[in-house]
Amino acid sequence: MSQITWMLSLIPDWFWTLVLISGIVGTLATWVLKFIPFVSTYRLPIQVASIIALIVGVYFQGAIANETKWQNKIADLQKKVAEAEDKSKETNVVVQEKIVTKTKVIKEKGKTQIEYVDRVITQDKEVVKYIEQCPVPKAIIDAHNAAAEMNKAAEVKK
Amino acid sequence: MKYLCVFLTALLVGCSTPVPIKPSFPEAPQVLKEKCENLKKIEGDKVAITEMLKVVIHNYTLYYECSTKVEGWQEWYDSQKKIYESVK
Repeated sequence: MSQITWMLSLIPDWFWTLVLISGIVGTLATWVLKFIPFVSTYRLPIQVASIIALIVGVYFQGAIANETKWQNKIADLQKKVAEAEDKSKETNVVVQEKIVTKTKVIKEKGKTQIEYVDRVITQDKEVVKYIEQCPVPKAIIDAHNAAAEMNKAAEVKK
Repeated sequence: MKYLCVFLTALLVGCSTPVPIKPSFPEAPQVLKEKCENLKKIEGDKVAITEMLKVVIHNYTLYYECSTKVEGWQEWYDSQKKIYESVK
């Protein structure tokens, strides 16, 4: 069916306007110009052909109007899609910049905290005494490490 | 009857107008696609409390880095959804 549509689309729009006009003229002629010998002789064939031309012409005028309406809608939608794609790219840049900045701040804060532990906490006399006398029990280290790797257990269960 | 069917089919040809528009799926920022790092473990048997504290701080840092990515995904999704819904 698309082949028929394609073939019809090759015919220029003015042709269907011409068909419609000839249909109108022919129909009117068979009613009004009965006194002309040619028209009165071939009245019925001219009338039938004119009515067919009128119907076909009206149908294709409707089809052309419908096609124009859809083409306009397509153009409008294509414009909106292009704008949306641009907006999407802009949003990506904003989100990316925000994440990079936040991550940088978090990393710096973490580094500062660790430096603070090295510089201040480990110099505290009471802490030094505690470090020397009380290493962290292995059970606590194991429990910490197991908690740090609990995601691996979930991955295996998949 | 068959001529009527052919005529109706020909009439309906005018109603089937395919719309050749396909919006592409938005690409997420590269930073969001990076996986979160695994948490750090405490190495060694005899470990000072301060060493353990440093590992805990490092892991907090990793958590906040990862939660930032999740927030980024949420923001990205909300923004893209708004943009997608505006195209109608």
